[in-house]
Amino acid sequence: MGTSVQVTPLSGVFNENPLSYLVSIDGFNFLIDCGWNDHFDPSLLQPLSKVASTIDAVLLSHPDTLHLGALPYAMKQLGLSAPVFSTEPVYRLGLLTMYDQYLSRRQVSEFDLFTLDDIDSAFQSVTRLTYSQNYHLSGEGIVVAPHVAGHLLGGTVWKITKDGEDVIYAVDYNRRKEKHLNGTVLESFVRPAVLITDAYNALHNQPPRQQREMFQDAISKTLRAGGNVLLPVDSAGRVLELLLILEDYWAEHSLNYPIYFLTYVSSSTIDYVKSFLEWMGDSITKSFETSRDNAFLLKHVTLLINKSELDNAPDGPKLVLASMASLEAGFSHDIFVEWASDVKNLVLFTERGQFGTLARMLQADPPPKAVKVTMSRRVPLVGEELIAYEEEQTRLKKEEALKASLVKEEESKASLGPDNNLSGDPMVIDANNANASADVVEPHGGRYRDILIDGFVPPSTSVAPMFPFYENNSEWDDFGEVINPDDYIIKDEDMDQAAMHIGGDDGKLDEGSASLILDAKPSKVVQVKCLLIFIDYEGRADGRSIKTILSHVAPLKLVLVHGSAEATEHLKQHCLKHVCPHVYTPQIEETIDVTSDLCAYKVQLSEKLMSNVLFKKLGDYEIAWVDAEVGKTENGMLSLLPISTPAPPHKSVLVGDLKMADLKPFLSSKGIQVEFAGGALRCGEYVTIRKVGPAGQKGGGSGTQQIVIEGPLCEDYYKIRAYLYSQFYLL
Amino acid sequence: MASVGQPPSLKRRDAPVSREGDQLIITPLGAGNEVGRSCVYMSYKGKTILFDCGIHPAYSGMAALPYFDEIDPSAIDVLLITHFHLDHAASLPYFLEKTTFKGRVFMTHATKAIYKLLLTDYVKVSKVSVEDMLFDEQDINRSMDKIEVLDFHQTVEVNGIKFWCYTAGHVLGAAMFMVDIAGVRVLYTGDYSREEDRHLRAAELPQFSPDICIIESTYGVQLHQPRNIREKRFTDVIHSTISQGGRVLIPAFALGRAQELLLILDEYWSNHPEFHNIPIYYASPLAKKCMAVYQTYILSMNERIRNQFANSNPFKFKHISPLNSIDDFSDVGPSVVMASPGGLQSGLSRQLFDIWCSDKKNACVIPGYVVEGTLAKTIISEPKEVHYISFSAHADYAQTSTFLKELMPPNIILVHGESHEMGRLKTKLMTELADCNTKIITPKNCQSVEMYFNSEKMAKTIGRLAEKTPEVGETVSGILVKKGFTYQIMAPDDLHIFSQLSTANITQRITVPYSGAFGVIKYRLEQIYESVESSTDEESGVPTLRVHDRVTLKQDSEKHISMHWTSDPISDMVSDSVVALVLNINREVPKVVVESEAIKSEEESGKKAEKVIHALLVSLFGDVKLGGNGKVVINVDGNVAHLDKQSGDVESENEGLKERVKTAFMRIQRAVKPIPLSAP
Repeated sequence: MGTSVQVTPLSGVFNENPLSYLVSIDGFNFLIDCGWNDHFDPSLLQPLSKVASTIDAVLLSHPDTLHLGALPYAMKQLGLSAPVFSTEPVYRLGLLTMYDQYLSRRQVSEFDLFTLDDIDSAFQSVTRLTYSQNYHLSGEGIVVAPHVAGHLLGGTVWKITKDGEDVIYAVDYNRRKEKHLNGTVLESFVRPAVLITDAYNALHNQPPRQQREMFQDAISKTLRAGGNVLLPVDSAGRVLELLLILEDYWAEHSLNYPIYFLTYVSSSTIDYVKSFLEWMGDSITKSFETSRDNAFLLKHVTLLINKSELDNAPDGPKLVLASMASLEAGFSHDIFVEWASDVKNLVLFTERGQFGTLARMLQADPPPKAVKVTMSRRVPLVGEELIAYEEEQTRLKKEEALKASLVKEEESKASLGPDNNLSGDPMVIDANNANASADVVEPHGGRYRDILIDGFVPPSTSVAPMFPFYENNSEWDDFGEVINPDDYIIKDEDMDQAAMHIGGDDGKLDEGSASLILDAKPSKVVQVKCLLIFIDYEGRADGRSIKTILSHVAPLKLVLVHGSAEATEHLKQHCLKHVCPHVYTPQIEETIDVTSDLCAYKVQLSEKLMSNVLFKKLGDYEIAWVDAEVGKTENGMLSLLPISTPAPPHKSVLVGDLKMADLKPFLSSKGIQVEFAGGALRCGEYVTIRKVGPAGQKGGGSGTQQIVIEGPLCEDYYKIRAYLYSQFYLL
Repeated sequence: MASVGQPPSLKRRDAPVSREGDQLIITPLGAGNEVGRSCVYMSYKGKTILFDCGIHPAYSGMAALPYFDEIDPSAIDVLLITHFHLDHAASLPYFLEKTTFKGRVFMTHATKAIYKLLLTDYVKVSKVSVEDMLFDEQDINRSMDKIEVLDFHQTVEVNGIKFWCYTAGHVLGAAMFMVDIAGVRVLYTGDYSREEDRHLRAAELPQFSPDICIIESTYGVQLHQPRNIREKRFTDVIHSTISQGGRVLIPAFALGRAQELLLILDEYWSNHPEFHNIPIYYASPLAKKCMAVYQTYILSMNERIRNQFANSNPFKFKHISPLNSIDDFSDVGPSVVMASPGGLQSGLSRQLFDIWCSDKKNACVIPGYVVEGTLAKTIISEPKEVHYISFSAHADYAQTSTFLKELMPPNIILVHGESHEMGRLKTKLMTELADCNTKIITPKNCQSVEMYFNSEKMAKTIGRLAEKTPEVGETVSGILVKKGFTYQIMAPDDLHIFSQLSTANITQRITVPYSGAFGVIKYRLEQIYESVESSTDEESGVPTLRVHDRVTLKQDSEKHISMHWTSDPISDMVSDSVVALVLNINREVPKVVVESEAIKSEEESGKKAEKVIHALLVSLFGDVKLGGNGKVVINVDGNVAHLDKQSGDVESENEGLKERVKTAFMRIQRAVKPIPLSAP
């Protein structure tokens, strides 16, 4: 009878991998979240690639890599072409996060999974919604609505409604109100048909509020001792909260150590965030309305988009917030390598690192004494190396020219070479050169104005599908072959700039990279002498509040995703006992059917019937007992008419939720002595009231409270009974 | 929770007995056949909403208020403000602080931010005596705490009233509100414009057609010049004046159009480097303060601005600077100054006008609607170097009629327009929408429009009760749960599943002193009750008795018996009688009661019941006579009903009477006949 609902996880179940789930509602396929991790491992997207083309709509919930990182790649390479829905901040901050990821990756490797253009075109198809906006998907009878999730700016709990049945997707929500965000409204949904939620934090309980002091103490201690503080942060998510906390702390204690916020997109991030006040917490909106005080007009924080700006900053203790939080790439990685060996410095983690990343390694207890860091890095060539390289280049060019001419001759003589080889060819050259020069030369890249010396300059004449290395393309996998010519166009530009730069001044290298050039190996062991601290500022509901929220929402069916196997299992057992009897924990690519077994039909309530119904008000609800006869209206609808025969007797129902704690003051207000004794409420001298049976479970069991009132035959007994009755509605 | 099935159709009921709840009333308390003090009252199904809360700029003091006396402010559930203009929002502090209003107020973020600045400025500037002051700055600050904000498209529900808003164009943050009460939708446009300009979006076309559309009619049947022509005229005037070494004065209200004009000027200057040494000023402290709001709520503006924002904030002007007062102004050579007020009544715009008007090189551009009786209105008619270019962001006739044609509301209520403009608009719309059976109404202030909506209540039967869809004639019994305007019918056992309500069982256990033999109780009970089963308690082995499967008696000790049962009215009654009986045995043992007399013959009790029924009917209807075939004839004010006492059927010409008699008879019978003890 009910709406058919199927859930198929594509990634992120029984572990902390990126989130991506396929939810199919009456055959309409939603992809909810499209995440990737900081390693950008294409094998994670295997399940998505199989279903990408069947997806009808994509819903994004948070603006970070774990929730939307794979969107550009999926759109470009996996055939995902559905409309995307998100809130404005998720759209905008997600876009900036992806830019930052891309630029950070470009810095260390020949990153070619997607380009800036791919990011742009993927985000172009995003329809932006506001919170609580009911968006009707045309023709499907499905309504989607984003609701406040907390955690990140624009973070969304999705509600998908069809025929009055709600499917709710809520991951990474936060119950607490924070400096810049309101808490989630998840609790306002009651008894949805299906709730899909995460178990990520099921085993973590947040330390109490004093963590804020710990955070501030740790920072100020290090700075006073002349050390530097590094906060590895995300590009545009939790960092916003941290910035506000630091701003406040600096203002409160009038500190004047510099704070730097360093990502490739920091200035545009803050510019946009300044115009997102509508999406923030009440206190921020209020302060703007009354005094036009925009909380994100940062007074103590300097925004940097380039590491050299940081290096040029005056010496002395400073605090730097830099992306990525995983320390795998980005500025945080570089700064960590520089600072880790100094005991005065502090690296302060505010979120658990993604699994298998440097950050996670460092968060181990006890922290490692030394870590091996991948140092692949595109650096400029200097001195002899450069000359050698240039010679090599000219030699190569000559060879190429020669070969090209040979090819042309061949071409004129013979037919075209086999098609299937064509697209792979340019890559082969790359590979050769990369191998050849890996031990001597590391290409250097970065932002556009940085220099880039690639192993290979494709002569513009031979962008040529006809390049003649036919033999050795077998090592290249699918991902190598699908590269499109655009990539090469960008490289051309880079090359031009690089060439210009080489002609100019090479000596202007910053210290950091100079030291790295000496160490040309792809990895290096970094002595971790600096202080490492982890203080939870993730802004996610912790285990305790997850459980409270779940038992309050009390869905008819519950699907658990995203969380370590232990956490998932733990939460499952908890929910089976306290929340609802239908808890599902699907594996990757396992489709589970959570169609509700709910029966329902619609009837019209006739005016005659309703005029005889006396409602009783109970909180938000009004209730009444009806006995009615079924009839039909002119247009064939079932309708309920007043019953013509005397109503059949029915078992009377007591409606109401009795709380012993509320009953006590009520009775004492009526002049009865009450006290709790042995789990029962003693009223007066003899009468006791008790609750028996399983308490607290809402979903399962009979759902009926069992209350026992005992006492000897006396006047008090009847009086107390009357008071007890007054707590209920009798139908 | 969609249970509102079909959209109710508007239909005047034939029967005059229609229930009050289905009547929808709309009353303009202001802006009915006038421009200014917008305020429209609406009530339906016991829910009341007020749209806008403005003042009339032409009056002062209490006279400027809408007719609040007509309504009970304490009964209003929701107050919705469309935008920050004085004629839409300025009586809000008064209404919130000086009346009994205790509902909730909503407006958009941008509106709220500007509302405070604008009204604070208004209080400072308006030169009225203290008695005439409707509110002071304190009232405005206090009102800020009560105002809640909502974003465009965000659906909010208050007491079962659902509402959300669409972009309205007009000014920053302007909204059109759609209200949904029990499936009846009403759209209130406020001031709107369907033309996209430099920073604002055009008013959206709502996804759903409303049942009633309350729409502004400021410009009646007039048509606007296309935007590019207006802008061209504007820049041409400035260009030629500046080239000739003249000065340009633009008297304009500080907020709204002023920002649009500044955007035009800033862009024009960017494209004309030769003007870069010519300064542009906007001389309004209020506009300066509000610039932060414009710089922040970029998301409420159109794509164009949002795209520009990706590079730099378009409201951080490159060629325009603020001017605090005329003292800071060094009047050397050509310049462009935008100054308030727009009507040249007083203030900076007037000061500059007085200085500059004598030189014919100078020009004055009046960019919008000007009020009768101001200097600006006077000089418009003298075609010297004064240019009137309307940048007003109200819909013109073309926009209004296309909007309505696409929306197709069955009922249109015109407000916010001068009486004759409104009349012409009505006539023209009538002819244009002739084939759609649309009603167009132009109520005056305090004139109520009443409509009836045939509201069909739909319920969803769910859970165990709905396992099988019933056939016609079967009965459905269950709990009807109403939340907001949605109804659900469910079995009691399902109550906790589909709602937050829960059910309870109360078990009662009572000890009664009794020292006699247990067998005596059994004997006595058997005399009264049909079903008394005896058994022994499994745990303690004491004898027990179960009366009617409801109440269990147990001999606890020599001196006490205990009774336990589950609470419900019948069981409670049975238990009471058992208690009474036990106590009586205690007192009266041994005593022999003559039984036979107690039981009356069935016939006798039947007769008695007959009498009672008759007496009760007489007390209810007065004229009640016994007719033939065991029928009763009831005569009320000439309406006659025949009641068959056997079957309970009633025949009557009058439907109302028939129903009443039927219900009354059913209830009487239920009261008189013995209670069936067996629960299903």
